[in-house]
This record gives sequence, structure tokens and C-alpha cells, in this order.
Amino acid sequence: MSTQLSVEIGGLKLRGPVLAASGTFGYGTEVPLLERRALGGMVSKGIFLRPRTGTAPPRIAETPSGMLNAIGLQGPGVEALIRDYTPRWAEWDFPVFVNINGESAHEYGELAARLDGVPGVSGIEINISCPNVEQGGLYFGNDPRAAAAVTEAVRKRTRLPVWVKLTPMVSDIGVIARAVEAAGADALCAINTFVGMSIDLNAYKPRLSFRTGGLSGPAIRPLAVHLAHQAARAVSIPVIGVGGITRAEDALEFLVAGCSAVQVGTATFVNPRAIAEVNDGIAEFLRAKNFTSLAELPRYLPRD
Amino acid sequence: MFLLDAPVTAKRQVARDMFVVAMHAPEIAVSVRAGQFVNLGWSGGPLLRRPFSVYRVNGEQIEVVLKAVGEGTSDLLSMLPGDRLSCLGPLGHGFDLAAGPRSIALISGGLGVAPMPLAAREATSLGMRVSWVHGARTSDELCSESEGSDVIWATDDGSKGFAGTAVAAAPDADLVLACGPNRMLSAVADRWPEALVAVETYMGCGTGVCLGCAVPLRRGGYDRACKEGPVYRAAEIDWAALPTHLSYAISR
Repeated sequence: MSTQLSVEIGGLKLRGPVLAASGTFGYGTEVPLLERRALGGMVSKGIFLRPRTGTAPPRIAETPSGMLNAIGLQGPGVEALIRDYTPRWAEWDFPVFVNINGESAHEYGELAARLDGVPGVSGIEINISCPNVEQGGLYFGNDPRAAAAVTEAVRKRTRLPVWVKLTPMVSDIGVIARAVEAAGADALCAINTFVGMSIDLNAYKPRLSFRTGGLSGPAIRPLAVHLAHQAARAVSIPVIGVGGITRAEDALEFLVAGCSAVQVGTATFVNPRAIAEVNDGIAEFLRAKNFTSLAELPRYLPRD
Repeated sequence: MFLLDAPVTAKRQVARDMFVVAMHAPEIAVSVRAGQFVNLGWSGGPLLRRPFSVYRVNGEQIEVVLKAVGEGTSDLLSMLPGDRLSCLGPLGHGFDLAAGPRSIALISGGLGVAPMPLAAREATSLGMRVSWVHGARTSDELCSESEGSDVIWATDDGSKGFAGTAVAAAPDADLVLACGPNRMLSAVADRWPEALVAVETYMGCGTGVCLGCAVPLRRGGYDRACKEGPVYRAAEIDWAALPTHLSYAISR
């Protein structure tokens, strides 16, 4: 008998709990050897209203069990995204969320309105946590009022499900989580990258041209599990766990810690089959433990 | 594109600190074009895969050439026949030799020999006269293997062949291909704007997803070394904005 992996996130049913994280899956057309059957859904590369060229190279630097990136949200802008990608998304058998970015709450609202009702767009992930842009980004994510204002601006302009991707660069993630829940978010994604820096000892300067970058990969996993758990304890909407997942066991840690689903990111860069392996590994784990569905997985989520 | 479990089959030294590693990768061996690369990973290795131009094809085997510059390449050099690599490829856009030039000059600096044997063979099979200029700092850093009708050696210190850069030693030809340090490629661009050059960048995924391997273009903006590249028309690149020194060291 097959194991039931479907989950419901804020009214949207996903066939599996493993999604592709924004910025690690392009627009869904680039990843080679894709096994769609294993994909619960995907979140597109972050988009702005207008095209952006991104930051100067070097844009990435490998660190122990992780990578720093400062891509700077290079992208074609929302109109090109709608023209070039959404018609394809409309034919796919899994939901596609668009990760949106702006320099003001108003711009986030404009993006939400533009994407509302576009066939192929199943929802919006608000990015208030990108560390690699000069304006906006992280600024909105570490102030509860700004985070709520952006969420409200989006909520008012769309009927699509709205997820908010949180930054780990805060002293209490629960405060931000509650603020965006109250502002109308349907789910939270925890967490985006940590801000980090690495120095080139031959050049006596940072290895990234942007100076700092977002740290991802297995290096951040225990930090991410903790923050996702804290967010899940703070709110009653679903939390989607993100951060350093490369294997099914990693994903299961987030699920047991209170997450309803997970996103796999950097692992896809290393192993194009990572998402399928994580998805299939979760099913295998549940079978080995004699659970017939993911819903039966015990959760560690004490209420304060 | 294939993701193969590729056992190492052989290793040989071709210059001081420079080695060729061969692996069994039949699907890639039959489909790879000159200038394309593979992205290698291995159990217990660093997080990200490492990109290598395919150096030669030998039956069902492909070869890559490398120096131990960081922890990843040291791992690779310590592998023995039978050890397994995860091999993703062929990747990128290689040299396009279809235009029908009659003579071709290959210019390589140091590890820039990597894409040249395949290019030499493709050019020879298309009836071109092939000259290959090998450059390095000193004679013991020159790769001992070469192909083509003329081979020219160039060393910065004059210890073998022409005393000076490979670019200065190169003959004119209908088509010039070059691979080596980005500073050398920039000099190639000054002399032959139409040359085809294979650039080196930091690379994340190797498949066009992460946008980490940005190559600055003269017309503005960036594209991806792993997808639109790594081979470019030299005049397309904004050389002043392309990093020249890549430091790879990570500590686990």
C-alpha cells in the first residue's frame, strides 16, 4: 500500500510535502533530469516589477558545508515572467508560487495585483528576507510593522494564497511570525539565508563583490530547524521549513519540529535529483515506521 | 545531460602538479563536444560539484585535467582506480567549429590545455590546419601532451620555446580558440576580437539555475558561463569586470 504524502497548506492541497525553494529552481524550466512526480510544488526565482541585472561577480563562495551567494535577484521583471513562463506553468500538475520582491510595500502590492488571476500562478511567496539587495529585502523582514505592512499590501490585492518567507536575522522570529499571521498570511516559510562573509586571504578583501552574501546549505540546518520550530510554535498557520535539507532525514527533522511541508534549495545545485530523493525517502521512513500517511508522523510542538 | 556514477579508471601526470584523471562515462563520452564540461562530485567531498572541461575521450572513458589548487582537487588527485565519481554532463556550450575556417590556432595557458585536445581533433576532422600554442610560466609547468600539425611552446621565463606569452607566440589563423587565465584571454580579445575563448568563473550548479557563474557582457548585464558559455566570442565579454584571480580554498 502506498504511503499518503499529501498535505494541505492554507487551503491548498499539495501531493507531497517537498517543494523547490526560490532561487534554486529558476522558473522550473532549467533544472535538468527533473522528476515532476516527486514535486509537491515550486517557488520561482524572486521577481521584481522591473528587470534587474544582479550583482557583479564573484557572486558565490563555498564555505564549510555551505555556500554564500549574492546574486542580487537578477531577473527579467514580472511582465517577462508572465509572458515567458506562466503559460508553461499552467500546464504543470503541481502548483507554482511566485517569489515577489519590492522596494516598498506598494511595489509588493502592485506585484500581487499583477499576478492575481494569471493562469499558472498558484500563489505568492513574499520575500522580505533577501540579504542581497540594496533597497528593501531584509529591511522589511526584521521589523514586525514593516513585515505586516508588506503582507497587508499583498493580501489586499490578491485572492491567491500568500506565503511569507522569513529572515533568520532577527532576535525573535516569533514576533515577526505573529505580525505577518495577523496581517493575513496563509503560511510562513522559515527561513531564508543567513547573512555571512568570507575573506580572500590573497586579496585581503571579501570573496564576494557584494561583500556579504546569504549562507545556505547543510551548514545552517540546525539553526533553521530551531527557527522553523520557533515560528511554528508562535502561529497557528502552517510553517514550511527551509534550510540545508539534502536528505529525507533532514526534511523529517523539520516536519517533526512542527513544519507542515519543506523546501529543498541548495541541494538541487549539487544533485538534480535531490527533491525526488527527499520525497521518496520520507515515504520510505513512514513505511518503515508503519505509518500509512504523513499526518500520522508525531510532531514535537509543545504550546507555550 | 546525464548524471552518471563514474568509476575512476586511470591517472597520469602531464606536468609539474598537473594530472589527467580518466573515468568511465560512456553516455558523456559519445555526446561531449570540445569546450563542454562535466561537474564532478564525490562522497565525502566538498558541498558543491567541481567543473572540469573534458580533456580527451577514449572509448567509453572521458578525461579531465587538473592541478591541486584547493581541497576539492586534492581529494580528486588522491582517488584510485575504482573510486566513484558522480559525473554530471556534458554541460555548457562548446566551441562552434562549423563555420569552415581553413586554419585554426589553439592558445592555451597552463590548465587552459583542458578543452584543446578535443578541439584539435574536431578541427582536424573538419580538414583544418591546427597550430597549438602551449604557454606556461616555466617549462616544467607545460603540459607534455599535444595534438595538431604545429606545436609551439612558450614560457614566461624562456626555459622552453618562445620566451614570452602564448598570445605573443601565436601565429595568425582563420580562427583562434583560447583557454587559460582570464588575463590571458583578455589579451587574446585585444588581438583577435573574433576569437572563441573558454572562460573560467566560480560555478555553483553548472546547469543554469543558480546564476552564480555570471559573465559580464559588453552589451550590459550578465549571462551564465555554465549555460550560454563557457565559450564566448572574445569581443562579447566585459574583461575589466570579469574576476581574474579565483581563490578556491575552503576549509571543511
